[in-house]
Amino acid sequence: MRVTLERSNLLKSLNHVHRVVERRNTIPILSNVLLKAEGGAVLEMKATDLDLEVTEATPAQVEQPGATTVPAHLLYDIVRKLPDGSEVMLRTDADGHTMTVTSGRSSFKLQCLPQSDFPELTAGSFSHIFRLDAPALKGLIEKTQFAISTEETRYYLNGIFLHAHETGGKLMLRSVATDGHRLARAEIEAPAGTEGMPGVIIPRKTVSELQKLVDNPDIKVVVELSDTKIRFTIGSIVLTSKLIDGTFPDYQRVIPSGNDKRLIIDRQSFAAAVDRVSTISSERGRAVKLAIADGQVTLTVNNPDSGSAVEEIAADYDSDPIEIGFNARYLLDVAAQLGGTNAQFMLADAGSPTLINDTADEQTLYVLMPMRV
Amino acid sequence: MPIRQLSETVINQIAAGEVIERPASVVKELVENALDAGATRIEIATAGGGLNLIRVVDDGSGIAPGELSLAVSRHCTSKLSEDIHDIRSLGFRGEALPSIGSVSRLAIRSRTAEADEAMEIAVEGGKVSALRPAAANRGTQVEVRDLFYATPVRLKFMKGERAEATAITDVVKRIAVAFPAVRFTLSGTDRTRLDLPAETSDEDGRLRRLAKVLGEEFPKNALPLDALREGVHLGGQVSIPSFTRANALMQFAYVNGRPVRDRQIAAAIRAAYADVLPRDRHAIGALFLTLDPGLVDVNVHPAKADVRFRDPGLVRGLIIGAIRQALAEAGMRPATSGTAGMMAAFRPGGAPSPHAGPAGAHRTYDAARRGWPSGGFDLERSPSRPLDGFGETAQAAFAHRPGADARAAAEPPPETLRHPLGAARAQVHANYIVAQTEDSLVIVDQHAAHERLVYEALKQAIHSRPLPAQMLLLPEIVDLPEEDAERLASHAGTLARFGLGLERFGPGAVAVRETPAMLGETDVQGLVRDLADEIAETDSADGLRERLDAIAATMACHGSVRSGRRLKPDEMNALLRQMEATPGSGTCNHGRPTYIELKLSDIERLFGRR
Repeated sequence: MRVTLERSNLLKSLNHVHRVVERRNTIPILSNVLLKAEGGAVLEMKATDLDLEVTEATPAQVEQPGATTVPAHLLYDIVRKLPDGSEVMLRTDADGHTMTVTSGRSSFKLQCLPQSDFPELTAGSFSHIFRLDAPALKGLIEKTQFAISTEETRYYLNGIFLHAHETGGKLMLRSVATDGHRLARAEIEAPAGTEGMPGVIIPRKTVSELQKLVDNPDIKVVVELSDTKIRFTIGSIVLTSKLIDGTFPDYQRVIPSGNDKRLIIDRQSFAAAVDRVSTISSERGRAVKLAIADGQVTLTVNNPDSGSAVEEIAADYDSDPIEIGFNARYLLDVAAQLGGTNAQFMLADAGSPTLINDTADEQTLYVLMPMRV
Repeated sequence: MPIRQLSETVINQIAAGEVIERPASVVKELVENALDAGATRIEIATAGGGLNLIRVVDDGSGIAPGELSLAVSRHCTSKLSEDIHDIRSLGFRGEALPSIGSVSRLAIRSRTAEADEAMEIAVEGGKVSALRPAAANRGTQVEVRDLFYATPVRLKFMKGERAEATAITDVVKRIAVAFPAVRFTLSGTDRTRLDLPAETSDEDGRLRRLAKVLGEEFPKNALPLDALREGVHLGGQVSIPSFTRANALMQFAYVNGRPVRDRQIAAAIRAAYADVLPRDRHAIGALFLTLDPGLVDVNVHPAKADVRFRDPGLVRGLIIGAIRQALAEAGMRPATSGTAGMMAAFRPGGAPSPHAGPAGAHRTYDAARRGWPSGGFDLERSPSRPLDGFGETAQAAFAHRPGADARAAAEPPPETLRHPLGAARAQVHANYIVAQTEDSLVIVDQHAAHERLVYEALKQAIHSRPLPAQMLLLPEIVDLPEEDAERLASHAGTLARFGLGLERFGPGAVAVRETPAMLGETDVQGLVRDLADEIAETDSADGLRERLDAIAATMACHGSVRSGRRLKPDEMNALLRQMEATPGSGTCNHGRPTYIELKLSDIERLFGRR
C-alpha cells in the first residue's frame, strides 16, 4: 500500500476513529487502526473495540492499493505533531511487517499487524432505516446523556433508550436516560421510517462518540437499526454499534402527572444560586434545601462541619408553601440542560418526584427525586 | 435387612464419632471430668500425638468403687440430676467415658477419700472387664491406649503425630486459662513439657496464667475488660491494637467457665477492633462471659464448642461496647514490643556487623510477631538505619537547609514536657516528628497520625446525625429468602438512620426506597444482599456503617498531611495535642502504630549508664 494525503484530512479522520480504541487491550490488534486503500481516491480508516466500530474515508492519492493495520494512538500522535499544511505518505514496506510514515524530512516506521486479522463487526441486516437532521439527533443525545447510569450492575440503564412513542395521535422519536435518581426525556417528531421500530438501548460509549461526530449542522444522518445493532452514517463517517441487550424499565410510571404546585424561576439565576450555596458542602451527596413560598425560593445548605449558606431568589409561585431537598449536583445538571430563560418545576411534596422543564421547550422534561435530610 | 436394636458397643461407637473426633477431644473430656471432680492438680501425659497413649491423673474426689462400672456405661453421670436447664458443670451428657471405651483400650483407676484402696476397671473396644483392686493415691487416673484401634477408618483420618500433639496443647491451654488455681502439667515423648503452676484464682492470677499461655509480653499489652449489662458479665483481657497475630487462634472465649469456640463471639471481637486493625490481623486475649445458666444453651454441640445465647444481640453489644471502651481508655499506648524491637535495633551499635548475629534474628521475629508490615517502618529493614535518624546524616540535612526550619525552640517550656506526647523538638526525614517528654523520646509518623485524626473527625461527623438519603425514582425490589427479608425488615430503623430506607415487599423480597446519598449511585442489590448475610451471621446492621466508614477513610487519606511536608514547630505541637485528645489515635487506619516511645531509662541503658 502506498498513499499520499493532506495531513489535515488524515488528522481529522484519525481524530474521529482513534477514540474508539481503548488505551489498553488484551488482544493486540484492537490497539490498531485499519488503513485500506482500494482503488478510488480515498483512504479508509477503521477502528473497533468489538462493541463499537467507526469507519471514515478521506481523500487521498492512492499510488498502490493495499491495506494494513498500525497502532492507532501512535499514528494519531505522530500526525498531530507534524507541521500544519504538510503532506503525509504512508507506505507499507516490502516485508509487510512495517509501515513507513513520511512527511517532509520526518520518517517513522510503525509495526503492522495483518489486516486479515482485524475483527469485523458483522452488522447483519437492519430492519429500519430513517434520516435525521444532525442537530435534532444531537439534541436527543445531549439533553439526556448526563442522566445515564454508571452503575454496571444495572446494565440496562447504561445507555440511552431510543424508541418511537405515539402521543396525541402523533408519532414521536424519544430518548430517555435514567440512573434511578433522576430521569431525562427528550423527543422530536418521528421521521418517516421509524414506524414499528424496536425500542433500543444505545450504550454510553457509543452515545459519547456519536455526540462528537454530529457537529456539522447541515448534514443528514442516516440511522439504520435492528434489535441488536445500530448504524449511524454521518457523511463519510460510519459508526456501527451493538445495542444493550436488556429491557428498559417502564419509565412512564415515574413521570408524575398530578403534581399541582407550579414554580417558575429564572434559570440562570437559579443555577448560579445553587452553585453558590453548594460551595459550603464539599462532600458529595449534600443536599440543597428549597423552601418555596409566595413569590420566593429560599435555598439553604447546612454543613455542620463548615457552616451554612442561604440565598433567596424571586420566583413565580402561588401554591401552598413547601420545603424540599435535592442533591445540589443534580439540580445543577438539570439547570445546565435547560436552555431557555425560565425553568418550570412541578412539585407535589417533599417525598415525591418533581418534574422540571423549560417553559419554552415542552418536549424535554426532567424528573428529579428529592433527598431526605 | 430387618430392623433391630443396635448393640451397646455400636451405639457407643456412633456416639464416639461425634464426641471423640481426635485425641484432643479425649484430653478435653478427661480434663473436664477432672475439673468437675474438683481437682487442684492435673497431670497429662501423651505419646504418639495422643494416639498411642493419653494419661490424665488428677487429685479430685475420685469415683466410689461401686460406681466405677456405671461410669463407663452410657448416659450415666453424676453431673446432672433431672434438670437439663440447670447445668453448672463442664460435662453433663454422660457420653465421654463409654465413647472413649468403645474405640480404645481404656483403664480407669480411682480412689475416693473414704476408700481404703483404689479400684481399677478396664474397657477394651467396648468390652468391660471386672473390677480389681489397685494401688493409687486419692483421685482418678484415666489411661487411654491405642485410640481408634477399634475404628480403623477414623484412625486413617488422623493428621500427623505433631499436629495432634499441637491440638492437645491448644485444648489444655484453653482450659487452663479458665482455671488458674489448678496446676496443669502436660508432658510426653511427643512434646516439650508445659507446666502451668497454680495461681491465685483472682484477676492477677488469671493474668499470670494468661502470660504463661499467651506469652510473657501479653500482660504488658493487655487491657482489662469489666462490663455488666442486664445480668451478663464480661471480664478478661484483650490485647492493644498494636499487639496482634495473623490468626485468631489466640482468642479464647469462655461462657460460665466453659471454653467455647463461638462464631458470634469471634465476630463481635472482630467488629470491636474493626477500626483499629487491618483485616488480616487479629487481637489476642481471653473473654469470660458469666450469665445465668438458664440464659444460655450449651447443649448444642456434642463437644460443647458452640453455645446458643437467648439474647445474642445483648452479648454482642456487651463485647463490642466493653472492648471499644477499653480501647478508648487505653488511648495512648504503643506496644511495648515496639520499644523492645527498637531497643534491639539500637543494641548492635558497637557490633562490627549489624546485619549478622542473633540480634538480627531476634528483630525479625519481633517484627513478625508484632505484625507491622515490613517496610512500613524503616527500623525493620535495616538495623543500621535507625541510627541515621539521630546521626550525622540527619543533622547535616538540617545544617544545609536553614530555610526549611523544622527545629523547635531551643528549650521547650517545662509544662509542655508534661504532656503524654511531650514537646516537639524536630522533624526528621520530612515525616517523623521527634518529641521529648519528661522521661522519654517520642517519634510520631505525621502522615499516619494526621490521617487517623481526620478519619476520627469524619466518622464523628457521619455518625452524629442521621445521614441524608437519596430517594429512588423506582423502588429497587431485592428478592431474598424469606428469613433474610424478615431480618432486614427488623433492622429497618437502624438502616434508615444511615440513609437506607427499605421495607418488606411480599414474603420474599424487600423494596429499597432510598439509599445513603454518600454512596452516590450504588449497587443496591449487592448492598442489601451483603447486609442480609451479615445480619444473619451477627444480628447487627453494622455492615452499612462500615461501608460509610470506608468512604470516610478514603476521604481521610486524601485530606491529611502527607509525608514530605515540612511542619513548623507549632504545627507539630498542635498535632501532638490533638493526638492526645483523640481516642484511637495510637494506631493508623490500617492498624500500624502512629508513634513509638523510647523511655529515657532505655536510652540510658543503651549507653551503658544503667
